[in-house]
Amino acid sequence: MTSLNGHRTGTGVEGQEAVLADITAMLATLLDEYGLDDVEIRMDTTFNRDLELESIDLVALAGLLEEKYGNRVNFAEFLAGMEFDEIIELTVGRLVEHVVASLKATEAS
Amino acid sequence: MAIVDLGGGLRLHAQRIGPRGGRPVTATAVLVHGLLTDSLASYYFTVAPAFAASGIDVVMYDLRGHGRSTRPATGYTLDDSIDDLEALLDRLEVTGPVHLVGNSYGGTVAFGYAARHPERTTSVTLIESEPATAAWAGKLDGILGRVMHELAHNEADAIAWITANRSQNTARLAKGAARLARETTLAQDIPASRVLTEAEISSVRCPVLGVYGGDSDLAGLAPWMESVLPDCRTVVVPGHEHSVLVEASGTVGGHILSLILGSAAPVQLAGADAR
Repeated sequence: MTSLNGHRTGTGVEGQEAVLADITAMLATLLDEYGLDDVEIRMDTTFNRDLELESIDLVALAGLLEEKYGNRVNFAEFLAGMEFDEIIELTVGRLVEHVVASLKATEAS
Repeated sequence: MAIVDLGGGLRLHAQRIGPRGGRPVTATAVLVHGLLTDSLASYYFTVAPAFAASGIDVVMYDLRGHGRSTRPATGYTLDDSIDDLEALLDRLEVTGPVHLVGNSYGGTVAFGYAARHPERTTSVTLIESEPATAAWAGKLDGILGRVMHELAHNEADAIAWITANRSQNTARLAKGAARLARETTLAQDIPASRVLTEAEISSVRCPVLGVYGGDSDLAGLAPWMESVLPDCRTVVVPGHEHSVLVEASGTVGGHILSLILGSAAPVQLAGADAR
């Protein structure tokens, strides 16, 4: 089954690999603005130290996540529950796991 | 993300979030960030989600020159900032009275808006902030003078020192601040801003909440604020300095929410509290 925006729904919950690919594409869009088009994104890549993204760039990422996943994923709420130091240390992998879990949770409900 | 075109090459980045699932909006809050290294992200990832979940229509924006807004070369006086806020709210069709929240310089902007438009202001929260006085302008002149000297004109040395002694994150933010200070009239404009008379300050009769870090110099302003304003309450959060909004967002957000929702006791938000 496919929803209006082309995402797989029903039993086809996106797995970790597919979500990592989605987020890698979003980060490529953001990094392209800084002229960085050749950065490797892995699960242990940190947003702050490795990608040098500022907090305002993460607001833009929140917008891209919402475009892709709708209100099934709320990046702002995810970060608002963290301490400041945790946000500085945030990895791509932790976001991927959060997205996978959020998609599964909405699937189940 | 919304880019609001205010004309003359000025485009402000704004974010607006509200209650979900058809819950009614009970109030509108407009959140204004601080100077140089700050942006709407300081609210977006801290207090804004909880405000929205509490039924508040939350409007955040990047000041001109900051975040993802455009960086015109001129137009950085306090009155320019208040004009920008007015124009933004008009464009967003926010016509009713609003709760204003400002961090640092953003609070000075919020208070200036309240003094100009008492009929459009329900309450003002000043986080590590104060109304525009001659003393405020003098202090900003000193701070911005140091920024211009150390960052804008000796950037390589300053960034090397910050990277070695602070963090890479701070260094990156400092580079952005140096660019803003160097390429615009901000450092000249802000100290030259028109300030408010004591009568104009006292004319703000709506509830004002002042929130300060206990280890910040600004905490000393709390008694003056309560004496000069007709309806002012201040809160000092121990163990924090100027970054109390992001470091203790659960506590700070709770005080703001109780003001906006009109509850007597502070609401404790789920969220970051570094200590």
